[in-house]
Amino acid sequence: MLALGLVAAAAVTASAHRKDEYLQASRIAIESGRVQMEIDLTPGIAVAEDVLKQIDTDRSGSVSDAEADAYAASVMRAVALEVDGRPLAPYLVDRVWPTVEAVRQGEGSMRLRLSALMPPLGAGAHHLRYHNAHRPDIGVYLANALVPSSDRVAITDQQRDVDQRALRIDYVLRADAAALRSQWIAPGLIGLAMASALLRLSRISRRGSGRLRGRTPGAAPT
Amino acid sequence: MFAMSRPSAVLLVSCALVSGSQAAPQRSPAPADATARIVAAARAVVATLDEAGKGTLQYAFDDAAQKKRWSNFPSPMFAREGLRLGDLTPPQRTAVMSLLQAALSADGYRKVLEIMKGDEVLKTGAGGRGPGGGGPPGGGPPGGGPPAGGPPGGGPPPGARGGRGGPGGGLMFGEDQYWLAFLGTPSTTTPWMLQFGGHHLAINLTIGGSQASMTPSLPAAQPAKFTIEGREIRPLGKENDKGFALINALDETQRSQAILSYRVADLVLGPTQDGRTIQPEGLRASALTPAQQSMLLDLVREWAGIMNDAYAEPRMAEIRAGLPQTYFAWSGPTVNGGAAYFRIQGPTLVIEYAPQGSVDHIHTIYRDPTNDYGATFAK
Repeated sequence: MLALGLVAAAAVTASAHRKDEYLQASRIAIESGRVQMEIDLTPGIAVAEDVLKQIDTDRSGSVSDAEADAYAASVMRAVALEVDGRPLAPYLVDRVWPTVEAVRQGEGSMRLRLSALMPPLGAGAHHLRYHNAHRPDIGVYLANALVPSSDRVAITDQQRDVDQRALRIDYVLRADAAALRSQWIAPGLIGLAMASALLRLSRISRRGSGRLRGRTPGAAPT
Repeated sequence: MFAMSRPSAVLLVSCALVSGSQAAPQRSPAPADATARIVAAARAVVATLDEAGKGTLQYAFDDAAQKKRWSNFPSPMFAREGLRLGDLTPPQRTAVMSLLQAALSADGYRKVLEIMKGDEVLKTGAGGRGPGGGGPPGGGPPGGGPPAGGPPGGGPPPGARGGRGGPGGGLMFGEDQYWLAFLGTPSTTTPWMLQFGGHHLAINLTIGGSQASMTPSLPAAQPAKFTIEGREIRPLGKENDKGFALINALDETQRSQAILSYRVADLVLGPTQDGRTIQPEGLRASALTPAQQSMLLDLVREWAGIMNDAYAEPRMAEIRAGLPQTYFAWSGPTVNGGAAYFRIQGPTLVIEYAPQGSVDHIHTIYRDPTNDYGATFAK
């Protein structure tokens, strides 16, 4: 055995992971007609029991579907989402729940997938506001916009409070290509129809006036 | 004082050799040659194993669960699968380390050794389960013979393949607690993946002929600074120092764009975040001077250059080509010594450097949103 002096230069803790904080990481995907959201909730090992008390309300040592749904609902009540100042109503799409043991060890992440329908929005600049007030006593937050999957949506700015509990996403909604086509095609067709009608009227008018001219006194009919 | 096991001594000697070799950089071999050497080293590992060991090492290339089975967490908090170093005989372990040396650059190999060494320090400082991590949950060594890293203890948990720790036990730290797995059969032509990792380390190297991708990977460190025989070791020291050098090379206008107005407590695109791309923020690299761009690329190389130089050079060329669309963002103090987060994000690149509340505990992530797990060539 080779004995070597091995000294940690700084105090080393046993924890290799977050201890006394409750990490809440939100990712927001803006689409033209809806907002999709994921929230990962990861309590550190030192606060896991505290969080579990809120989830495992019957103290059975496991999390039932009803308990998971109830906790998800409580998180959703603490989350505010609005577009251009109009509140949105996120609903739960699905949830992924770790084992109680994993949460207890500080490893378990609960994942909520939420979705909210957007009101009809016109092309142009818009903003989405997100606020997470769940467990601010122990929470640390991440909040980010995902790169939009549609070319119709372009994010122009993100602003947050210092703790990332609040996020404002500025974005531009471009006119839908199909809508653009119909927007241009319809007036175009109408224009063509009107031009065609005017042309016909003009021809009729010319023919009419010829006849009239023919009827001009002194002119011989051809 | 720390009584080092024989494999640890081998690692340290290797580490010293690697450090020495850095003084005389050699011309990068062709990627195809590098692949041939890595495949030979991988086959040498396989040759040391019995059938059970081979079964423990080998996974199907399309095993999506195993592909994503990596984490910053220690075991058994996170259950890894594959060959556990602590279960190997000395020749087996030497073969594994030779494979890593072939697959990685000299600096990348040095980094991996130092991250593992840091975990050994953590074990002694944290009151871990002692040498061998309390014994291999997977039973005896895959190739027969005595385990190199501590006494065996206990059989495998129900349903576990070799080397898997069951939940609920004490955390296991140290150089024995790292796992190797192959997804697909090592080949010079057909895609396969070398997966190596443990606490604070995940190397996912997908090789397809002369192409390779080492994303996603997670080099991390705790402690971030320690000494061995009077020599200071900082596994991610260059990442830290080059990051601070870059932020301090910016003028006030550039800084105002690069520095985020909010705290970033953790990795945004860490483990379990495959396939997601966040909206980039910060200072666009096109607003950097040529000298600052060189500093940024030099910083990126700390991650992109972990894999064999033959693969790293084309990867760096790709990142360089995307530089005009690459962003540098910073959160935290700008004086070196503070705990600051930074992110570099480009068309084919995401790097995050995230102190976990202190400068002594660092997580980082390295991704290619277009080619994680070699998606473009590993079909």
